[in-house]
Amino acid sequence: MRKLAVLLTLVLFSFAQTFAQTNRTVTGKVTDDAGNPLAGVTVSAAGTAKNAITDAKGLYTIQVPSNTASLKFSSVGFGDIESRIGSRTSIDVNMISESKALSEVVVVGYGVQQKKSFTGSSSKIDTKPFADLVTPSIDKQLAGRAAGVQVSNAGGGVGTPARIRIRGVNSISGGQDPLIVVDGVPFISGNLANVTNSNTLADINPNDIENIEILKDGSATAIFGSRAANGVIMITTKKGTKDGKMKVTYDATVGFSSPGSTYQLLNADQFVMIANEKRANAGLAIAARPSPTGTNTDWQSLIYNQNALAVQQNISFSGGTQKSTYFFSLNYSDQKGIIVSNSQKAYRLRFNFDTEVNKFVKVGNNLTLSKVIDLEQNNGTNALSGTVASALRALPNVEPYNPANSTGYNIQWPLLNQFGLGPNTIPVDDNYTNPAFTTQINKYSSDKLRINNNTFVELSLLKGLKFKTVFNFDVFSDYGFQGLDPRHGDGFSAQGSVFNSQITTQRWVWQNYLNYNKSFGSNNLYVTVGQEAQKDFSRSVSGSLNTISDIFFVGNNVISGTGVTQFSGGGYGKSGFQSFFGRVNYDFANKYFLQASVRRDGQSSLAPETRFGVFPGFSGGWRISQEKFWDKSSFLRKYLSDVKLKASYAIVGNALGGFPYLSTFSAANYGNLSGLAPNLIGNRSLQWERSKKYDIGVDIAILSGRFNFGFDWFLNDIDNLVLAVPTPPTAGIPGNSISQNIGTQRNRGTEISLSGELVRSKDFSWNFSLNHTNLDNKITSLYTIGGTPVNSIPGSYNTINVGSSLNVLSGYQYAGVNTANGNPMYFNGIGQLVQHNIANGAYYFATGKNDPTLGTQTSLGLNDRKFLGLSLPTYFGGISNTFRYKQFSLDVMVRYSGGNKVMNITRQEALVSQNFHNNGVEILDRWTTPGQVTNVPRLVQGQSNNINQNGLAISRFVESGDFIRLQNVSLSYTYNSKRLAEQTNGYIKNLRFFMQGQNMGLWTKYSGLDPENASQAGQDNAVSPQLRTVSFGVNVGF
Amino acid sequence: MRFNNFFTATAISALVLVASSCQKVLDEGPYNAFTDESVFTTPERALLALNGVYDAGQSGSTTLAGRGYPFGAATVEQGDNRGEDMVNLAAFYQITYQGTYNPNTANNQAMWDNNYNMINKANIAIDGFRKVGSSGVISPTLALQYEAECRFLRALGHHELLVHYARPFLDGNGTAAEGGVPYRDYAVTGSATLDKLKTEPRPTVAAGYAKLITDLNFAETNLPITQPLGVVRATRAAAIALKQRIYMHMGQWTLAKAEGDKLIPATVTPLTPNSTVALIGGHRLMATPGEPFGIPGGNSVTAENIFSVKNDALDNGSVNGAMAQMYGSADLGGRGLVSVSPIIWNRAEWLANDLRRTQNNRLGGTANGTSAAGLAIMTTKYTDYINRGDNCPIIRFAEVLLNQAEIEARLTVGTVSQRAVDLLNMVRNRSSVAPAATQFTVTSFANDVAEVGAILLERRIEFLSEGRRWPDIHRTAMDPIVALRAAGIPAKVNNGTTGSALYGIGVPVTLGQAAIPYSDFRFIWPIPNGEVTQNPAIKQNPFY
Repeated sequence: MRKLAVLLTLVLFSFAQTFAQTNRTVTGKVTDDAGNPLAGVTVSAAGTAKNAITDAKGLYTIQVPSNTASLKFSSVGFGDIESRIGSRTSIDVNMISESKALSEVVVVGYGVQQKKSFTGSSSKIDTKPFADLVTPSIDKQLAGRAAGVQVSNAGGGVGTPARIRIRGVNSISGGQDPLIVVDGVPFISGNLANVTNSNTLADINPNDIENIEILKDGSATAIFGSRAANGVIMITTKKGTKDGKMKVTYDATVGFSSPGSTYQLLNADQFVMIANEKRANAGLAIAARPSPTGTNTDWQSLIYNQNALAVQQNISFSGGTQKSTYFFSLNYSDQKGIIVSNSQKAYRLRFNFDTEVNKFVKVGNNLTLSKVIDLEQNNGTNALSGTVASALRALPNVEPYNPANSTGYNIQWPLLNQFGLGPNTIPVDDNYTNPAFTTQINKYSSDKLRINNNTFVELSLLKGLKFKTVFNFDVFSDYGFQGLDPRHGDGFSAQGSVFNSQITTQRWVWQNYLNYNKSFGSNNLYVTVGQEAQKDFSRSVSGSLNTISDIFFVGNNVISGTGVTQFSGGGYGKSGFQSFFGRVNYDFANKYFLQASVRRDGQSSLAPETRFGVFPGFSGGWRISQEKFWDKSSFLRKYLSDVKLKASYAIVGNALGGFPYLSTFSAANYGNLSGLAPNLIGNRSLQWERSKKYDIGVDIAILSGRFNFGFDWFLNDIDNLVLAVPTPPTAGIPGNSISQNIGTQRNRGTEISLSGELVRSKDFSWNFSLNHTNLDNKITSLYTIGGTPVNSIPGSYNTINVGSSLNVLSGYQYAGVNTANGNPMYFNGIGQLVQHNIANGAYYFATGKNDPTLGTQTSLGLNDRKFLGLSLPTYFGGISNTFRYKQFSLDVMVRYSGGNKVMNITRQEALVSQNFHNNGVEILDRWTTPGQVTNVPRLVQGQSNNINQNGLAISRFVESGDFIRLQNVSLSYTYNSKRLAEQTNGYIKNLRFFMQGQNMGLWTKYSGLDPENASQAGQDNAVSPQLRTVSFGVNVGF
Repeated sequence: MRFNNFFTATAISALVLVASSCQKVLDEGPYNAFTDESVFTTPERALLALNGVYDAGQSGSTTLAGRGYPFGAATVEQGDNRGEDMVNLAAFYQITYQGTYNPNTANNQAMWDNNYNMINKANIAIDGFRKVGSSGVISPTLALQYEAECRFLRALGHHELLVHYARPFLDGNGTAAEGGVPYRDYAVTGSATLDKLKTEPRPTVAAGYAKLITDLNFAETNLPITQPLGVVRATRAAAIALKQRIYMHMGQWTLAKAEGDKLIPATVTPLTPNSTVALIGGHRLMATPGEPFGIPGGNSVTAENIFSVKNDALDNGSVNGAMAQMYGSADLGGRGLVSVSPIIWNRAEWLANDLRRTQNNRLGGTANGTSAAGLAIMTTKYTDYINRGDNCPIIRFAEVLLNQAEIEARLTVGTVSQRAVDLLNMVRNRSSVAPAATQFTVTSFANDVAEVGAILLERRIEFLSEGRRWPDIHRTAMDPIVALRAAGIPAKVNNGTTGSALYGIGVPVTLGQAAIPYSDFRFIWPIPNGEVTQNPAIKQNPFY
């Protein structure tokens, strides 16, 4: 043994001798992409310990053994370069900044991973543009920015949360929203306020966000187990830097929003003609008359703001030392909506601090405080005082104001809850109220307070082993108020109504986990194991008064004793999660990667015997570009500088709310007699909804990362759906459904992302990025009735069909108008022409579109419904271009979506209504004379159901939902930093001015306001227009 | 190194501690509701469960939740708007008024869903009451009473369904296969009962009526004569009166008479209607026609009211359902959506100075305004415009009397019945300013058919805006006396017709909306789509 050691030492020694025989000197200059000298680059000789560092001029000198084959140049932020020495003594190198995709880390559950070793699928959102945007919250700006992530904003309400779907809609009856994780902890999210819409993500200041990582596939999300089926959005807030200097930044923006578009309605004269024609055709006396004073009211202009002001100010202080860092920010934002009563005001504070106590202990705390005040209005799409709904129907020959009325509005206070008649003999049908009054006088507000505090302690136990404990406390409190004036609108019949509610939602999360890293040779191992517990607690209380003693008491709050009828209410609930998780990552030589993770979740929503679920995930990757054969080909090395193949599989779940396993009785009062009645028929055997996620992908860096390309194919195979299985109404089951683990669906698709630098020079650069997603959702099975599979669950406008995507639009096929009598015509289920006789609502077979004869009576039923279109888009994406010329920068972002159809209910129920309402201009095309060819049937007052089929989809109102939107155009000018420093004695370090336009253009065939106003089920009904915002701002850094 | 060991130990013990203590995190249950096991455990909770069934009858929580479906308001509003004696003025009841139903129509679905929801709640409660009765938590008598109350509601609900969704019993004695509606008499609480239910096709109408009678016989036996809370819970008299009504729908006049005889004394006092007291429950006509309603403060809880469904300021059909809102004059705080039709108002048989014209009606503002063109005769039976707390009248003693009058008249074939005339006079005289002068005698009628005709007209006047018109049209559509048959759904004035000039005895009435013959498919409502798609055993009504 000893001999062997001696021998070995000798051999090694002689080896070293041989290599160390001669040295030579190599010199050179290292420059960056733009040709500027690069300091601090490490130059090392392959196979030796020798290295050198470039100086301020980018120059280096290195002594290397004569047989050294190559030099390696490395620097943070740049791709390593190996250069063969050959016979050269001078080697100049141009280093290319490494693409972000490869140098960055990916924020994953309970840790971070290097992008190059990450084998899951995620999208990182560039958060820099958010700081410039006038936006109430970041979710509203995510659309078009990441492959596989579909984000839609229905309408222009500033407090309305965006709808985010990651890789499709992954549940039918259960939750479809992604899990939101902020600084590692599940964040209370959703639309939680009582009186208004409320966006809990507005509690996070968009300027405070360092990074948004959207985890999409199974392996990336499996560590979140039962809550990962809809994907995970990881938000990381900013931290200070360790450079010892304090950085102060100040941002201010001012913006002006206007409606993207409004409806084209009839003017007063057209209305009078149409309304009287409807009545005459119904045998009724004329009721509409032209205004003697020529009144022609544009009701939409009374409810919409033009140039609604938005201001935003933000100041942050950040910095740190080698041991401690801090980030402190204050934000004020006040954004008016386009409906005159809509606005959101926010005050937000963040304080992030962390410090190393000693080499073993690190502690930190992240605190968010925010106060957000939302003001809104009655948004009911069919509500009589619904703002948009009533503005569409209000009569244009009627004045909004009337100085003779004590209120100043044209209403019949104190006699009636009606509009003033104006020149007409009757008021608008259905008791629609004066939107000028209701929108300006009634109050809907939500005053929210949020405290989210996250404390952690990290212990460095052994080399490579860290233990972290995180305790997060999150409180969301909403104080809602609704004040309805007694004089008109919703408050009239109650003689004034005031309502307050307080909702408090609390959550604590305690995480404890160990991270362990170990490298041996080329083997690298990363292990995470831990545990997490979460408890949610919510309670609410409300009070209201009716018959208010004086209008004075309607304005602000419930005031004791000011109302005759008093009500109170409240609720209380608790739920919890308890989880254990573990993950192992292994890689060999940065070339082969394997990951396995598992989470065991327990949830209080499920029965004790079924409440635990185990969710495993696996993935693997191969950086084929690290293989020798790749390295040997200079072509591959240059053009495909980094290629990673990856695949993953995981089973994740979808969490449930409430206690669906229990049959319960809740309060059911018979007047003032207390009572209890079944409110839920439970299902004791209910289990987690399960999503099996598959992903195969490739990441390619081209030209050392100047261009990056990513492709993923994915499949979410979902079974055990927690489906609210419809029960026959004659069963009398509360809600007419019972939740069962039955039914399957899948989402399959491909994602492409491509980014790069098209032009790069000192003065001009052009960067672009695009992402595109194809998505195919399919319901593969539902439940059975008596052993027979059910293939369809029909609803009013939608049907859930096996073999199609969720909620396809389904209804009668319109055949146009009978040219002889103006009746609408349809094709029945087997293609026969059917005439719908307006007079009696009955259907008759018809011989042709020009023949008025009513044939044999028939009917249209469920079997006559046809597929009219998908409600879910099948493709979407976004394209961004950034041009920089000297100090100017121009960003242009376009996004698109399509493949879906929209059922335009606004058109069906309001724009071509057959009641005494105003209409859209489409109704001017109505049938009036025999022989006329048109698509708009004869008008008959009161026959909306027979003429328009209200409540059902018909192909006449189903339109394409495809669109292309010019989402953002942003121009900025950055002041020359050198000159700035000179001019301000170094006090101002950077200065930037910018102007921006959001939603500047929309290209679509959709006839409504905006195809994005449609709900997920493809229904668009009286939603406010989208905002078009122009803004100006400044960033200053001190 | 010691330091490290210390931390490692700390960390590991923390993990273990957390893991063990967090077990409690999952031990949660609902706080806003009871679990089903814990409801039927005390007498107090049993009573709460009973109230819950009444609540489902007052205002269901499924389709059109909170709008008074089925018996808090909708039975009145749908019953009136299907008939010709009230006019729908806006779009609210237009589909009902014009008979343009389809299987997705919300009203139609709400009536179906909420009735069956109440019925299943009743069935679940019945199982619970049997349990607490047999285990001694409550006395067996009380358990039977609670069950009887549930079965009364179950019968009431099924009958409402039969008159809307099925052809009348008198159409071939209800023997047409699959012509009725499902009669649910067992609790559905899970997959076993659900599967059973899906194998049961629609029964015949006759089978449904047989079960109604069984339920009501049980109710009659086990219900108390009075209830501590008065008319808002079922009593023996209510069960008898409902049975009398149902036997009439079946054309079983002798059986119907027997029920009426249980309540009406042999001697009645037509000239002092108020002094005749029912044999069970102390019911009597109030002195004036306004009293059983809101004048003064009646609220359908007087001795005349046998069964009313409770509404109050806390719980009612809301501004979109409560009768005072729907039917109330707009100038008084109602929405003025439904008015009295000149069809009935202008009839000369309804005496000009009849107190019902003034005590139960007024010329008031409507959804069409308060100008002369917007005015119409509006009911004042429901007057709590602000708090909407008017109870919903389901059975009044006046109905028992008019039912019996009709039964007696029909049973005395070929001659005019004195007893029937007396019973008719009881109701009519109460509203007369000079009963001795205006009352009927047997000579007022040419024959028994004319007598029945007068009684049917009297019903339209007496129960105007109480929703009784449709059940009467339904049961007389195939009346054995052909001359009395309702003409399907009768012709009506146009939807939305108002104007003070339209009203006045003898003023001609323009019937703009044609009658729908009995044979037309629209005479009955469609079975809602939710049912036919989820329950293949249930067949849709023809042409829907």
